[in-house]
Amino acid sequence: MNRKSIHIRLSEAKSSAGSVKDLDIQIGKIKGEQWDEKEGPTPFPDHAALRTWDRTLLSRYKPLYLPFCDLCCLCTYGKCDLSGGKRGACGIGMEAQQSRIVLLAACIGAATHISHGRHLVDHLLEKMERRTLIDVGGSNVDVEAPMIRLVCGMKPKTLGDLETVLDYLESQMTELLAAAHTGQESDPLDFESKVFHAGMLDHVGLEVADIAQISAFDLPKAEPDAPLVDLGLGTINAEKPVILVIGHNVPPAIDIIKYSREHDLSGKIEVTGICCTAIDLTRFDPSAKIVGPISWQLRYIRSGVPDLIVVDEQCVRADLLIEAGNIQAPLIATSSKNCAGLVDRTDDNPDDIVADLISGTVPGVLILDPLKVGEVAVRTALASHETRKTKKTSSIPTAEELIEFAKRCGGCMECTRACPNETPLPDAMKQAATGDLSPLADIYDTCIGCGRCDDVCNKEIPIHSSLVAAAREKVLDEKYSVRAGRGAIQDIEIREVGGPIVLGEIPGVVAFVGCANFPNGASEVAEMAREFAKRRYIAVASGCSAMAIGMYRNEDGQTPYEEFHGRFDAGGIVNVGSCVSNAHIAGAAIKIASIFAKRNLRGNYEEIADYVYNRVGAVGVAWGAMSQKAAAIAAGFWRLGIPVIVGPHGAKYRRMLLGRKDHDEDWYVFDSRTGEKVQVGPVPEHLFVTAETKEEAMVLIAKLCTRPNDTSRGRSMKLTHYIDLYKRLYGIMPDDIHLFIRSPADIPITMKEELLPILQEKGLQDRIIPDPTLLKSQIRKQKGGSS
Amino acid sequence: MFEDIPVEVGLVHEGERIRKEDMRVELGGPKVSEKFELVLVKKPDEITDGKISVIGPDLADLEEGKSYPFGILVEVSGEKLEDDLEGVFERRIHEYLNYIQGVMHLNQRYDLWMRVGKKSFAKGLNSFHQIGSALISLYRSELPIIEKIQITFFTGGEEFHSTYNLARERYETRDARARGLLDEEVDTFYGCALCQSFAPSHICVITPQRYANCGAISWFDGRAAARMDPEGPIFPIAKGEYLDSEHGEYSGVNEHATKRSMGEVNRVWLYSAFGYPHTSCGCFEAIAFYIPEVEGFGIVHRRFAGPTVNGLPFSTLADSTAGGRQVEGFHGISLEYMRSVKFLQADGGWNAIVWMPAEIKELLDGIIPENVARAIATEQDALDIDTLTSFLTAHHHPVVSKWILPEDTEEETSPDYGTPGPVMSIGELPLMAGGVKIILKNAKIYAERIIIQPADNNKKKQGGKNV
Repeated sequence: MNRKSIHIRLSEAKSSAGSVKDLDIQIGKIKGEQWDEKEGPTPFPDHAALRTWDRTLLSRYKPLYLPFCDLCCLCTYGKCDLSGGKRGACGIGMEAQQSRIVLLAACIGAATHISHGRHLVDHLLEKMERRTLIDVGGSNVDVEAPMIRLVCGMKPKTLGDLETVLDYLESQMTELLAAAHTGQESDPLDFESKVFHAGMLDHVGLEVADIAQISAFDLPKAEPDAPLVDLGLGTINAEKPVILVIGHNVPPAIDIIKYSREHDLSGKIEVTGICCTAIDLTRFDPSAKIVGPISWQLRYIRSGVPDLIVVDEQCVRADLLIEAGNIQAPLIATSSKNCAGLVDRTDDNPDDIVADLISGTVPGVLILDPLKVGEVAVRTALASHETRKTKKTSSIPTAEELIEFAKRCGGCMECTRACPNETPLPDAMKQAATGDLSPLADIYDTCIGCGRCDDVCNKEIPIHSSLVAAAREKVLDEKYSVRAGRGAIQDIEIREVGGPIVLGEIPGVVAFVGCANFPNGASEVAEMAREFAKRRYIAVASGCSAMAIGMYRNEDGQTPYEEFHGRFDAGGIVNVGSCVSNAHIAGAAIKIASIFAKRNLRGNYEEIADYVYNRVGAVGVAWGAMSQKAAAIAAGFWRLGIPVIVGPHGAKYRRMLLGRKDHDEDWYVFDSRTGEKVQVGPVPEHLFVTAETKEEAMVLIAKLCTRPNDTSRGRSMKLTHYIDLYKRLYGIMPDDIHLFIRSPADIPITMKEELLPILQEKGLQDRIIPDPTLLKSQIRKQKGGSS
Repeated sequence: MFEDIPVEVGLVHEGERIRKEDMRVELGGPKVSEKFELVLVKKPDEITDGKISVIGPDLADLEEGKSYPFGILVEVSGEKLEDDLEGVFERRIHEYLNYIQGVMHLNQRYDLWMRVGKKSFAKGLNSFHQIGSALISLYRSELPIIEKIQITFFTGGEEFHSTYNLARERYETRDARARGLLDEEVDTFYGCALCQSFAPSHICVITPQRYANCGAISWFDGRAAARMDPEGPIFPIAKGEYLDSEHGEYSGVNEHATKRSMGEVNRVWLYSAFGYPHTSCGCFEAIAFYIPEVEGFGIVHRRFAGPTVNGLPFSTLADSTAGGRQVEGFHGISLEYMRSVKFLQADGGWNAIVWMPAEIKELLDGIIPENVARAIATEQDALDIDTLTSFLTAHHHPVVSKWILPEDTEEETSPDYGTPGPVMSIGELPLMAGGVKIILKNAKIYAERIIIQPADNNKKKQGGKNV
């Protein structure tokens, strides 16, 4: 129970005990919980409270800047050229400017999730009791909100309690944004530390949003066996009226389902979705269908299948009104964050709105009441489905039309230059002109659906649509499955894996998260997840990456979710849910500290991050990270000490956080038993790093799972995978293997003969495994008793 | 290292499954009645080091798609080896065979079930000599205390039966020794520091009659591990003087605890959940939790999903138990420990157990003394204390005899949350405000800080958001 702003006023009260006149009680906050856990040093921390921790990490992982742009154009002094050591008119240097932009990005990202959480909580509190209990996993989850406990130092029990958390997040976000003003913060590392702060706030916001919706909409509660749901364009029945929902905030989509249930229309209409709204909708109703990640927006809309498009917020294309118009499908915007220039019809009679949408009087409407969206969307889709039968609704060319388009191509290469993945479009067009569509169809696999090619073509070839046309059969064959987002990881599951992790049977936890800006198509994420699940790691997934994993079939025709189990255990592929469900991944790492070591979480961020950093072999992989949200999510992992690997496009996040394995002095920890400084080697070597290829990423994943506390058995297992993957990629033994072998017991037994000569040459060591910490405060004191 | 085998040998193949349609042959498995794998410790002169023999047809001569009787005999010698290590070495067979690409090994001992895949066969994996050579390399690599090793594979013949019978006998003798070995009979216990990588203050002591909490390491495993890697995370503890046979207190264990815990834990009672219980890490298999109302223990294991008899599920009880602390009345244990006669000996042993999930009660059928077994409630009998009390009474559970009504009730203690005394405490205060009567009964108002200001001093600005 947590309440704010209580005001009690009594003008006159009389009782046998006495009387009270003009009593006025104002209480800023009431903390009512009976939580016997000791409060740590930093409940509701501001940025400065954790700055020392951030700088500890940043001294190991110094930013390596990769300026995406040499200029600063944020104020009227500018543009200022910051290249070659020049400073801007305000005095800022290149490094600080890069970090400053990262801070802005992280703030935007965190703001989306926090405001998403605020919207959900406000919406739910309008409909439900404040006292609606938070329940994320029944009796199998004791630590219901690890991020909130850790950061805020409170234990939220009810939906109403989440307001206090949101108040904190919003005030902190404002401070961080303020720091990015011209002429404020000047130090690059302080900017970076603020980025970490934004990331941490982001994770709290994620948790607020997801535990609110899990509790209120009864989404799967930490269920390892959540149902398999349909994924892919090929699973959609276009004979039925089809609604497409896009975005990240699920209430309008849920009200669409509810309205159709109440009016006996379930099964008669298809509710399909793209991006996280789709994921969250299938958590609510497994019969809804996921089209695919964000990059499927253009191709699906242009197919003409959707009879109506409903958009909410985040990662929604900015040209959807135009695209919807091209296929004669009305559009409903539902979020104040994305009004799309449409007239607000929230207070209008649904009959009128439906009529206007069907007649085409308006291309779309803005409705800010999810309940009304539910009704208007279903009724409009039913009618729109009928009227669209007589219109040309697909903008995908026929094979013949495509060949004619292809003949126009003059091979100017503008499209390839505009393509983020530099696909060989002109060559493929040349082939297509001769009737061979296969090269174009191949490009479809790596296309991220941005549509930039369309805009630059001076022959006005609808290039993106042409790709889809060439790949028509593939597209219709996109029939996959994904396990519905399960939400949190059970405390019990974490206990179960404790032993195997200690004994090395589970070499690590790999989280595949983030957007769909993949360098070589979605299948690479599936390939990586399968590789590590087969190697008995725990693979965790969320958002667009969770969908990408599902878009794959093995030789037996199984999707990875059919091939691998959904338990948080060796060899599992665990879909936690949408972007906001990423909180459960960080949450699982935090819970390890609480569950195994009984570390207090309450307002105790630094100690827990130190624990996670030094002990929990977890790595995040955001192979197609695109958005500012992804930047914020990654930053939240960094502050907890969890390394993140991004794909080649990730270099555009302007800097990496790289460790220097050649600097021995960087890799000392305290042994908390003795207080001695112990060299532990470069584990984990980097905090934020980009990989060019999936093979390189896999080598890095295996390597970055190492931690100073690894038991010898655990370390030898981790190294086995590292060496095996490294050799597969480069054909030779890694040149840094000696840095990870602390004593002969760390040597993988199947590689002993091969490794011993190398190690003997480098000087085989016999170092102790410390009880590692970076914090002096964690050095234990000898208690009484004879020692 | 694996030159003699034409396929890869590595950990990455461990999880590999070979389906029926992909298999060249099946060795052992459910279709054949006799199969075995056995490790024997021998005298050095009985072993020809590196020798691999195949009795019966070799792999290449076995018909595709068929199942065959199968046996593996690994004989080893070494100065530091003893019979007690045989079982530990034997379990390596499973692990090592699975490292070989295209070989799947399931189960152990007389349940051995192996398949060789078509693909690897086609690559040239067609002789047990190759598999034997990989096994020998792996044994040598991981276990340098093995000085000499020879391996014999059996796919038929007279010797197969005689060795099979020998194996069955050996398993029985070994099991009988393992079950019968008493803490009193050995002079060394083992400590395990593996869990300390996550639970730094946990002090694990493994004795013949007290399995590690995780259920993964027996005293024999501990002994083997300590011998194989003297510098490793599992190490001997000289048990020292037997200070208290009822509670299981040993001077050596106490000294070890003091040293490892840096003085946090200075005494350990191995057979009790009270006083100075063994600490509980995080991955214990089950919890013995005291239920004061009936003066007995409930048991709950990790996989039991619902609430227990006191209303709390495993996850909540585990939170009270875990973290490498000595918590009286919340005791992390392994399932195996429940088979020990020392199980909570000081607290009454099985006579003190009042509730447990049906699943483990069935599992321990024959272990729980019969007279108590029927008096122990499961979730099918009781899910609250009142029902439990009636159940125990009706079934004459031994704890019932302890329930003598106390003459004067003990002083009630309430948990101390460090809450300050109330600022206001009101017996009954009816208030009238705007025609509505509000009665505060026994209201106590707690506050961290109270500031009282005259009403007209309140200059708070109107409007804006109240944050």
